[in-house]
Amino acid sequence: MCAWVRVAATVLVLLLHSPLSTLHALQAQAPADTMAFYKALDLEAAGKYRDAAPLFRTAVHTTAAVNALLGLERVYAELGWPDSLVTLLDTLITQNPHEDTYRTVQLRTYQTLGRDADVRRAFDVWVHDAPTSATPYREYARLLLQRNQTAAADSVLARAKQSLGTTSDLSLELAQTRAAQGQWVPSAQAWRVALRSANYLEQAAAYALAPAPSSVRDSIRQTFLAPPIDVGGRRALADLESTWGSPADGWNALEDLPPDSAAADAWSEFAKQAEAEERWSIAREALESALRWRKTPDLSVRAATAALNAGDPVAAIRLAPPMQGDSATVAHDYLPLHIRALAALARPADAERLMTAYDRFLNPAEHNSLTRTIAWGWVRTGDMTRARAALAATGADGDSSDAAGWLALYDGNLKTARALLRGGTESTPELAVALGLIARLKADTARAIGHAFLALARGDSAGAASQFVAAGERTPQVRSLLFLIAARIQSATGHQPQAVALWTRIVQADSATPEAPQAELDWARALRASGNAAEAGKHLEHMILTYPESALLPQARRELELVHGAIPPNP
Amino acid sequence: MHMLSRFVRHFTFATFAVLAAALPIRAQRLLVPMDDAQSNHLKAYGLTYYAIKSGASAEWLLNYRGGSFLLADTPELRRRAGLDGITIESVDDGKLADIRAEIASSNMESVPLEKAPKIAVYTPPDALPWDDAVTLALNYAGIPYTALYDDEVEHGDLSKYDWLHLHHEDFTGQLNKFYLSYRDAPWFIDLLQKNTAAAKRLGFANIPALKKDVAEKIREFVERGGFLFAMCGATETLELAIAGHDVDIAQSFIDGTPMDPDADKKMDWSRTFAFQNAHLEQSPFVSSMSDIDGHQVNVPGRQQPLGTFTLFNFAAKFDPVASMLVQDHRSVINDFYGVTTSFNKSVLKPGVTVLATEEGAPWVKYIHGDYGKGTWTYYGGHDPEDPRHAIGNPPTDLSLFKNSPGYRLILNNVLFPAAKKKPLKT
Repeated sequence: MCAWVRVAATVLVLLLHSPLSTLHALQAQAPADTMAFYKALDLEAAGKYRDAAPLFRTAVHTTAAVNALLGLERVYAELGWPDSLVTLLDTLITQNPHEDTYRTVQLRTYQTLGRDADVRRAFDVWVHDAPTSATPYREYARLLLQRNQTAAADSVLARAKQSLGTTSDLSLELAQTRAAQGQWVPSAQAWRVALRSANYLEQAAAYALAPAPSSVRDSIRQTFLAPPIDVGGRRALADLESTWGSPADGWNALEDLPPDSAAADAWSEFAKQAEAEERWSIAREALESALRWRKTPDLSVRAATAALNAGDPVAAIRLAPPMQGDSATVAHDYLPLHIRALAALARPADAERLMTAYDRFLNPAEHNSLTRTIAWGWVRTGDMTRARAALAATGADGDSSDAAGWLALYDGNLKTARALLRGGTESTPELAVALGLIARLKADTARAIGHAFLALARGDSAGAASQFVAAGERTPQVRSLLFLIAARIQSATGHQPQAVALWTRIVQADSATPEAPQAELDWARALRASGNAAEAGKHLEHMILTYPESALLPQARRELELVHGAIPPNP
Repeated sequence: MHMLSRFVRHFTFATFAVLAAALPIRAQRLLVPMDDAQSNHLKAYGLTYYAIKSGASAEWLLNYRGGSFLLADTPELRRRAGLDGITIESVDDGKLADIRAEIASSNMESVPLEKAPKIAVYTPPDALPWDDAVTLALNYAGIPYTALYDDEVEHGDLSKYDWLHLHHEDFTGQLNKFYLSYRDAPWFIDLLQKNTAAAKRLGFANIPALKKDVAEKIREFVERGGFLFAMCGATETLELAIAGHDVDIAQSFIDGTPMDPDADKKMDWSRTFAFQNAHLEQSPFVSSMSDIDGHQVNVPGRQQPLGTFTLFNFAAKFDPVASMLVQDHRSVINDFYGVTTSFNKSVLKPGVTVLATEEGAPWVKYIHGDYGKGTWTYYGGHDPEDPRHAIGNPPTDLSLFKNSPGYRLILNNVLFPAAKKKPLKT
């Protein structure tokens, strides 16, 4: 079933390619004797198949004969009259036995009519009349593949090899046949050959090879990666890796392409997909490669943005277009990127200088947005006074922004943070944690908690973790939540013993809090990830039985099923 | 004979029910509802199996709330239910009396479950549990089983087990005719080599000879009182191998000699469980074994579309065995393909109990019968939650289908021998 769909999809691609280009060419010629043909096309487009049919039939005796026949085939199919083509085709083939399209339509017509013996006979006659041509074999093999008659298609290809001495002109059909037979590596080899002359088939290749089991995937990779390098084959492999769930490996297929315009296109296209999926490191690598061949401002902006989003502001500044050229363009298109990168590098003073230079080209909304970014830069330097001053400079808008809410939180001003963050426009996990925390605190100030969040914002993970713990010791009402945040930081930075110590304290000392089941689930996941399934299972069982009303139960049960091998492991 | 055994069975169950109702009921019970109130139908079977295995009392309440289970109320069963997310309800004496009264006055029955069957699954040693719907279900439900294959069967190990499952094995020895499409695929070459080596090791000339002998030993297992449950291609090919025990029914690509041109006439259907007068597929190039399968999924010109199948409703008090096998919270279930998807009515033996059929179609989906002292059940198709499963497809994650009505039918078969042992002992 799947094989049939794959073949049909490929054939559809091929069919869509040919008539359109031919039609455009014909319209350019438009000799007088093809008027019936164009009239028929109009009627067909209007759905008047019954009226179009006689005009197409008339046109098969003009210079537009081939296209008229294809039109006639289409409208007869709509009308359910394919049998009306049989006699006409016999006549046309007698008149012009070397026209492949007539033969192809004849095969299709017999197949539509279910006259399998006639299909076979027509194929044999065609092979007899054109003994050195690969076309009869190609067309017949395609028909068989469409009908999922893989073994029969294989026989036709074997006969072609015997008669022609090669199947190099039939590599697409060979690739499809081998894939339908589950002969994945021979299929990949044939696809590689097919893609050399028709690189637009890369998606068809990826689709055909997608069901290959994991045991043969390395062999398929080796087939496409083997020298010499073909851009089409490598693009197909990159698509295939995405389909197999490892888009990062897709980059392995493309990274060593020799730089030229085809490679630059491949890199840019690959990056587009990575950008859409927010896989910024891979997007950045692909765009950097494309920039080596084609240095355009657009690619530079994309590469710098990817670097920035991947957490590498130094590379972002290196990759960003230089602040040169038309000032308005620079201000609108390049300046925000540079400001963001400088803020991330804790260089807010440089960012302020740059902004001052282009400020007259900015509208008020752009100005305020960049000012808030600069305020963030001051936060990263630890200069809260300058951060507040920068924000105040944006007026009322700045004072009521999300950034102002975060500044208030860093300052320990929970009352202001509560008001601003609740009404904010952000929706990040960090904000959810912060809101959950301040909602449970009755106090209006909590400087220790603010400092812990500030340390986190500055990228000081170790400092943040210890400050969250310290703050937890002083604020029992949210101790478990602060410990949970600290434990997650420790776990994410590879400090498992510290994380375990915190999870233990939550589960033992704060077992009635909402954080206790979460802590035990986190703990179990960490244990399973480290290979200690038995201990993970004990924690999961304890968590499920102790907190039967927890919303985390479905996640815990799934983890337990994975521990017990009751369900297939995650791919 | 068949009617007599049904009568004996019915009489025994009815007697037990009367005795059970007359005994004073003291302990509280756990009801495991199996209607839409149940949050994890498949794990509920595992809980019940565990209860039986650990010696706790267990009853199957046929047709009561989707075929519920009534278990002893023990801390361990509650713990397991909690861990697995299985819905349970406490039943006190008053409620229990109400349930029994409702069962007594309706098409329902209470069947005691006494002995957890020892389960064997016939599967290659290197197969993953995700290759087979039954091992998927057993793993998910937490029901233990032993995997055995040709060596163990040939060494007589079947006698150690009560229940045997077969899945997509080709007992004609033609490896499902995958040779046609996959002869150069590494996995097929590996399969061929391993089976050829096993045949030589066990003293057979070729794979078909080995598989026919294995089929014969399975037939004897049932004849002696074993419970057989088969799905997918194993159903059809087991029957062909038994009927063709003395006939060459394999094509030359596997044993070097063509199929006997008169094989159809030489088949001995008197020894088979379910089918008779089927016609073998004579062409080595057609991916089909016979006309037993109604859907012929691998033969393009013959393939039939998937529909839905409907479970029959049996009289629980008069036909508890068939009732057990069709307990479900849905009576109409989406069909699913397999190497053998369904069974043509025209080849069914008289006396075969049809458990599920597709309305208006010439085939049935789910059948059962007695053979010697044992029973067999056939369920067409490969995976109830992957209707168009193809080689290489990812395995089904049953945590996403924990209420699957199609998988419930498999697990009904696992528990049914626990009840069936009762009449055999008395």
